[in-house]
Amino acid sequence: MADLILHTFDWVPEAPRGFVRDLRVRWALEEAGLPYSVKSVPFHDRGAEHFAHQPFGQVPWLTDGDLSIFESGAILLHLAERSEALMPADPRARAKVIQWLFAAHNSVEMASLPWGLIQFTGDTERTPGRKMIDDFLEIRLRRIEPVLAEREWVAGTFSVADIVMADVLRLVDRFDGLRGYPACFDYVERATARSAFMKAHADQVTHFAAAD
Amino acid sequence: MSPTITAFEQSPDRGRGLARDMPVRWALEEVGQPYDVRLVSFDAMKEDAHRALHPFGQIPTYEEGDLVLFESGAIVLHIAERYAGLLPDDANARARAIMWMFAALSTVEPVVVQREAALYLERDRSWHRERMAMVEERIRGRLTELSGRLGDAEWLDGAFSAGDLLMVQVLRRLSGSGLLGECPNLLAYVARGEARPAFKRAFAAQRAVYTGKPLHGSV
Repeated sequence: MADLILHTFDWVPEAPRGFVRDLRVRWALEEAGLPYSVKSVPFHDRGAEHFAHQPFGQVPWLTDGDLSIFESGAILLHLAERSEALMPADPRARAKVIQWLFAAHNSVEMASLPWGLIQFTGDTERTPGRKMIDDFLEIRLRRIEPVLAEREWVAGTFSVADIVMADVLRLVDRFDGLRGYPACFDYVERATARSAFMKAHADQVTHFAAAD
Repeated sequence: MSPTITAFEQSPDRGRGLARDMPVRWALEEVGQPYDVRLVSFDAMKEDAHRALHPFGQIPTYEEGDLVLFESGAIVLHIAERYAGLLPDDANARARAIMWMFAALSTVEPVVVQREAALYLERDRSWHRERMAMVEERIRGRLTELSGRLGDAEWLDGAFSAGDLLMVQVLRRLSGSGLLGECPNLLAYVARGEARPAFKRAFAAQRAVYTGKPLHGSV
């Protein structure tokens, strides 16, 4: 089997450490117990080689033999094909995991990321745009709360959908946004208590700190 | 047995094929699978019966026997895996096509949505022009990068795939903004997608809902 190599930045500023999206890939690799190595690309000098692998100049990407893929969601799905620790083999169950994987990206993160970015800036001005972002997140959290209240993991057993959903919600939690949503909060606690998460998180933070 | 999808009874996009049933219809047309449509009103979407299918109370949903799915991206991927015509057979090429599906929804769509929100909400504010300029700069960045990657290829990675379907659908939302025109190859890419017979059939079907005029022999 070909070597799995995760590519990420050599360094990022303090603020996003622990939240850079290679975390999701690290977490999946640790859950599946798949051997991998990590290679760095310069944060400050994104050259042609970087853009050849990731056309938007972002991270992460994964190489698997002569396959190179970006988009953490796609990478997670690729890894999930080879480990039932990441996704069940049963086609019905698999379709549900994929549904929640897309939901985490396109329905929840679509609301939480703009909200999170505003929190980072510390901007407190009450504009209509700001209100819309707050309302959008609130609607999504209100809808996901009863779902998470009645199940341990979004698609039944733990899957790549939980890696993304938990990582999406933990950004909201970082800024206290899960107050009033106890099921969401407990879900994040539960997910981040997993040893695979803790290792992935520690590894990412250490990796970036090493370049300081 | 034909799958059933849900769509707006009264679409906010007024028949322009920008609601999220459009990529699902397009995918079903591409693979030649007939489907039924259940139109839902805004009130019905708030009811428990619909929420049971869609936790976020939206459309589309997809029912096929006892399988119920929501999320247009997931539905398109399900269709692409179940029927032939939207994903290559080669495992690596398949992984790349799926990569482009995520790129469309997670990397390109968010900046497009930001622009729509700014347009919708803050038109009358003094900072509107400045904010729009900032948002459009971000979009330009993504479009330039995507344009560079596409080059003079017909589709993103070899044959037309579900990745192109979702990407074209996201880029269509920029029609009329002038932004697509700044990258001629992207303008042509979108036009190429819209020229596909499957796209045209899907578009006509959703438009017929808006105009109230039923199609003859519709799928």
